[in-house]
Amino acid sequence: MAGRAQIATKSSALIAMIADEDTVTGFLLAGVGNVDIRRKTNYLIIDSKTTVKAIEDAFKEFTTREDIAVVLISQYVANMIRFVVDSYNKPVPAILEIPSKDHPYDPAHDSVLSRVKYLFSAESVASGRR
Amino acid sequence: MAEGAGGAAANGGSDEKVLDFLDSVDSYLTTMESLAPILRQGWFDLASARHSMGVFRVSSASLDLKDHSASTYLQMVGHESDDSFVGQPSFSLCKWASADNKSCCSEEEIPDSQLRHRGTSRLSENQEQNSNGDDSLKTVDDLVKKERAKTLSVFGTLVSPKLRTAQLSFETALEVLVEAANIRSSMLSAYSQVQKQMEDTREGEIGPIP
Repeated sequence: MAGRAQIATKSSALIAMIADEDTVTGFLLAGVGNVDIRRKTNYLIIDSKTTVKAIEDAFKEFTTREDIAVVLISQYVANMIRFVVDSYNKPVPAILEIPSKDHPYDPAHDSVLSRVKYLFSAESVASGRR
Repeated sequence: MAEGAGGAAANGGSDEKVLDFLDSVDSYLTTMESLAPILRQGWFDLASARHSMGVFRVSSASLDLKDHSASTYLQMVGHESDDSFVGQPSFSLCKWASADNKSCCSEEEIPDSQLRHRGTSRLSENQEQNSNGDDSLKTVDDLVKKERAKTLSVFGTLVSPKLRTAQLSFETALEVLVEAANIRSSMLSAYSQVQKQMEDTREGEIGPIP
């Protein structure tokens, strides 16, 4: 860390969404929709025809774009690409798993809580006592 | 004696880190639980609007696919090192920034003039500055209304009042989500501190290899 310059910066960034039509429409009503010159949007609407590959590609795209700070993803959609979501560990963009109409939020599946629950597990307690 | 005092201070410091971590986990869970009823209200209002305006008017088919910037976005403050954010980034919501006026039109942005001159003894100066503050509040209010109406106009000229209430519900949901993002950030920071402390403790117990 010594010798590495750390500058406090302030920048503006978008909120991306991967969710069902009603959730995306609602957040677009709140003004978060962005469409660039190349017609690329900051959201993906999930329906019965959306493939797992399309969801994975959208997640990877949103998490690598520099202009996105938070990615909202319905938890039932995140469960379809759980391995990819759990492998993601950067601070920005922040991934927030949100409930949907038919699937309530389950903290047991939340990727960030899964990451930190290690501290509460028997293995971590046992290794601390050795 | 000194070693005992130093050990007690170290234990106190480590307990504090663990408590910070546990507090942040609790806050995160509470915040995420508070999101569900707000979203539920928004979905309900959207369904009511769809019922009164018609299925095709309130659907993804109406969404504006012409290039436009987001009116509501995030301001991110963090420490940048080698073009990546390190440490604990923090997010703040900037609502309804118009394309003409790039500054935030959010209702949380109370003009400083109204706060700076509180407690001034000269009444007339106070009144003048209060009226200036009121004028700027009205301007902010008008800009917010204009931006909200512009977003609603995607669904037609006349929209159901339920669509407007859905808009407010989802705006509230966004505020809660930004709060959750900040708590998530502090939770991960506290987690890495506790983890590092546990590793240091284990290395200290093992001791140097002869």
